[in-house]
Amino acid sequence: MLEVNYCKRIQEQIALYLDDELEGQEKIEVQTHLQTCESCKQTYEQVKSLLTQIHQIKPLYPAPITLRKSIEKILDDAPSPYQASPELHNKVLAILETAKESKERKASKLYYKKVFVALAATLVIFVMSFSYWINYNKSISNSTSEFALMAVDTHLRHQKGQLPLEINSNSAEDISKWFANKLSFGVKLPNYQEVSGQEKLYQLEGGRLVGFKNDYAAYISYKMQNRPITLVVTSSSVATPSGGEEIISKGLTFHYSVIRDLKVISWTDRGLTYALISDLAERGQQSCIVCHSGTEDKDFIDGLKIKS
Amino acid sequence: MVNKDIDFRQVALEHLDALYGFAMVLTRNQTEAEDLVQETYLRAMRAFGQLVPDSNLKSWLFTIMRNIWRNQIRHIRSGPQFVEISSDELQSNSSAYFESDQDPHMLLVRKVEQETVRAAIEKLPEHFREIIVLRDLENFSYQQIANILDCPAGTVMSRLARARTQLNILLNQWQNLATQR
Ligand SMILES: [Zn+2]
Repeated sequence: MLEVNYCKRIQEQIALYLDDELEGQEKIEVQTHLQTCESCKQTYEQVKSLLTQIHQIKPLYPAPITLRKSIEKILDDAPSPYQASPELHNKVLAILETAKESKERKASKLYYKKVFVALAATLVIFVMSFSYWINYNKSISNSTSEFALMAVDTHLRHQKGQLPLEINSNSAEDISKWFANKLSFGVKLPNYQEVSGQEKLYQLEGGRLVGFKNDYAAYISYKMQNRPITLVVTSSSVATPSGGEEIISKGLTFHYSVIRDLKVISWTDRGLTYALISDLAERGQQSCIVCHSGTEDKDFIDGLKIKS
Repeated sequence: MVNKDIDFRQVALEHLDALYGFAMVLTRNQTEAEDLVQETYLRAMRAFGQLVPDSNLKSWLFTIMRNIWRNQIRHIRSGPQFVEISSDELQSNSSAYFESDQDPHMLLVRKVEQETVRAAIEKLPEHFREIIVLRDLENFSYQQIANILDCPAGTVMSRLARARTQLNILLNQWQNLATQR
């Protein structure tokens, strides 16, 4: 009877053996036994035949050609993996000094002012209007430069037409609605036109999802005087602002940096991390502070100071 | 980086048939399967920046698909968790298909038509169908299957054995019917 029990045990292992899940002594044991035991060998052949039979029907269902085409398109639109950090340490002070030398500053002051008002409004309004209900994770990783890079990358790709918006709308309400249930946090966009008053500086364009850290981030696209502005929002459990120049305002710390000739401002507030990308290309890389130190944009600027 | 991009495209496309097959096995509906495949690629594409370089792209894609499907089921059928087990599910252990009362030569001698095997797989309950596809068609290891299905490796082993047993019995029944005619 001992032999029968042994055979039974070996037979239970045959599937594992065929699935290449046995190692070392167990594998050798089955191999050796199969060479000497006819009955177990037969079982082995039966199972092997069944498995071969199943395997032969692959592919179970070939993908329809229309599906293949649409997948190819999806893959062509795929963002490349984020590249290693480019030198992004254009410091605000350095820029300040460059800017001081600029003879054209006065001429462009009005433009700067509009831009700044708009940006400041964005910051303040977003900070105040986003609500969240996420599981706040205390273990914050130091990955903001990665988040900022991702934001810049998506901004650039969108400009190149590679990241089409998933919702096209200039209605804050519609876009907020679209994001509902798609994210692990809530996004409620403010209505700028109401808030910012007479001047229509912003045009909300729409939004889409972008991937970050195995989750989605919200990508929101604006136009301001025909220049694109992007806001990317994710949970602060996956991205924490760091790097660049720190600017504290109204209890929040804003990180300012220049990445690939784009201005990036990132900050965290109430469980969400934001990156605001703006392209102020032909004006150089002057920051808000550069443009507006000494102007009367008191509301916001008074709070600004470089952290020592 | 550009190379990695091309790699991803190529490798991801190589798995399209396999993913579509898995989607069909899960949904049993062509439209749903196509939607599921597209959503899988979209998510994979968005998350690719986070893919660990040496992680297995194929099993990662399958995991994404399975998770999307699970979540959809949870949304659509908001009742008790849907478990599809046919009433004649066999109580058996891994050695059941070695019973001596089965004709030992049957599987060796007779090649069942591919359609028969396919039809037999389609008759299996969902949790058997998917595990057969993952192991016997796609050659994932037990551990990879455990990751995809989010269950212990021991469960993979026992469920796979039961799935194969049931499939084998179905095939034998049909073959017997065919020979009796
Ligand atoms: Zn034996």
